[in-house]
Amino acid sequence: MTRRWWPRGLRIRLLVAFVLVAVTGAGAAAWSGARSASAALVTVTERRLTEAVAGQLNALTPQLTYPPNQAALDRLRAAVGTDTLVTYRALRSAAGDHTALVSDALRDAVRSRDRLSTQRISAGGVPWLLIGTPVMVTAPDGRQTRSGIEVYAVRDLAAVEQQVDGMTRSAARTAALALPLAVLLALSAAGSVLRPVRKLRDTARRLAAGDLDARSPPRGADELADLTVTINQMAGSLQESMAGMRRMQADARRFAADASHELRTPLSTLTAVVEVLASATDGMADDARESAELAITETHRLVRLVDDLMEVSRFDGGTAQLLMEEIDLADAVRDSLRARGWAGRVDLVAPPGTRLRVDRRRLDVIVANLVGNALRHGHPPVRVRITDRPALVSIEVTDRGPGLPGHVLPQVFERFYKHDAARSRTPGSGLGLAIARENARLHGGDLTAGNADGGGARFVLHLPREDT
Amino acid sequence: MRRSWPAALALLLAGCGIQPSGVDDAGRAATGVAPGVTLYFVDDDGRLQPQLRRINRLGTISEALALLLTGPGSSGLRTEITPSGPAPIVVDPRPGLIRLMTPLAEYEVTPLGIDQIVCTALGVWVQSGGAADTRVQVTFTLASPESERHRTCPRTG
Repeated sequence: MTRRWWPRGLRIRLLVAFVLVAVTGAGAAAWSGARSASAALVTVTERRLTEAVAGQLNALTPQLTYPPNQAALDRLRAAVGTDTLVTYRALRSAAGDHTALVSDALRDAVRSRDRLSTQRISAGGVPWLLIGTPVMVTAPDGRQTRSGIEVYAVRDLAAVEQQVDGMTRSAARTAALALPLAVLLALSAAGSVLRPVRKLRDTARRLAAGDLDARSPPRGADELADLTVTINQMAGSLQESMAGMRRMQADARRFAADASHELRTPLSTLTAVVEVLASATDGMADDARESAELAITETHRLVRLVDDLMEVSRFDGGTAQLLMEEIDLADAVRDSLRARGWAGRVDLVAPPGTRLRVDRRRLDVIVANLVGNALRHGHPPVRVRITDRPALVSIEVTDRGPGLPGHVLPQVFERFYKHDAARSRTPGSGLGLAIARENARLHGGDLTAGNADGGGARFVLHLPREDT
Repeated sequence: MRRSWPAALALLLAGCGIQPSGVDDAGRAATGVAPGVTLYFVDDDGRLQPQLRRINRLGTISEALALLLTGPGSSGLRTEITPSGPAPIVVDPRPGLIRLMTPLAEYEVTPLGIDQIVCTALGVWVQSGGAADTRVQVTFTLASPESERHRTCPRTG
């Protein structure tokens, strides 16, 4: 499992980033301020302590017996104060508990440099300042020689450290004060960024839902405004191409409608001529009769194709009308079968008294197409089963043929789709199933294709009951 | 990564405390001890000569001037300051200028005698840690332009 350190939402990310930046910045500033202030405080305190020791020494030394005896060293030591060590060759005068803290480094410096020296040390968790100085003998002309007297003083810096700690704490408090301010700023910044983003999202949603007029007004001149303009442009070009596509589609449909309509008049003439020809075939020679019969068949096919094309054009143009009447479904299907001479070749399984409001002609078209297909492409027995359910009525047409291959199923309702190229000479127009489904949908129902359990194609027409 | 934040913060806060340091130079060493005080008298050639009085300490300017006024003793040197009564010389040392208010009139002391006073006072001043370029103003009981001069010791510059 991977752990997600970085929060997901834009708002919370902005918030976290703002707070981190603000608190880090405030902390750094406060820390640096406290650091330099405490450095200055320590320096001042050290100088004060050092100057006090030097001043006390210089005030006393002119009155000091030289070379000094023990009493003189004691006097000097007492003048400097407690925690002081004064040495002169083998003599030594010390007072206080902390003179042992004087470091070798400081002694070396005092002996070699002939200058006042200091060192900060830490002992037992307490900071101390060590002050050491040799006492010099100055000649009237200013030349200095060592007198052999060394003075070491140990001073406590704990009070300074407390002050420094106090400054550090107040710096930390100041940095913490930046926190709520940063939260407020982050929320307001997040709001100003997220509001346009949310608007854009709403616009994109409306576009996705099909409302191609959706636009968001760009505000300001930032990147989000650029994005808004781009999205508006995208919506504009999408709208244009959609409109163009619809225009082209409408043009194509109108062309198909016009073409089929224009074909109709010459076809009527042609049909009449063919009828005459049909009645005259008896007296023809064999090969001439064959040609005439072919012409007759193809002319009938052409008529059917043009009729189907006009029917499809009516569906596309939305001009198909339903002529609803209440009928007995079993009777209607039986009539359809009988009219085509199929009554003996089809098993009709229908509960009696199934009444439904449908367009009788369109139902006949559907049933004729489905049963015709089953008879042509499948094997007997072909069965039509009517199932009466409360909400809808199903008419199921099955055969015992090879069924529909899987890759054909999605395309079977497409116009002019013929699965088997060898079937191109079959009398169907290639529009039958498409028209059947359009008819089913016109009724508010649907037509589905599939395979029956025992093999064979299975088409089911669902027709809803109007009153439910 | 987040776990190291408190550690870093603690380190920063610790950096604010007082840290131990090495040995730092903090100024001039103490001075002022001396085996005695140096007084200035005049030799036979009329030049200033230092004379160390071993009093086992340096003492103050007043003490040195008091000793100067008592004379050179039997050392073959002489003083050009007329011996006066017990009235002491009042010393007023300030940064850069030491004022000496003598109980003498200008005619009671020669220029060389004034140098004796100036050199003795400056010597003690320098030996006890004072600045070497300090000037000395010697004032007399009677008003005189000499009282306003800021002097230096001709021996030490």
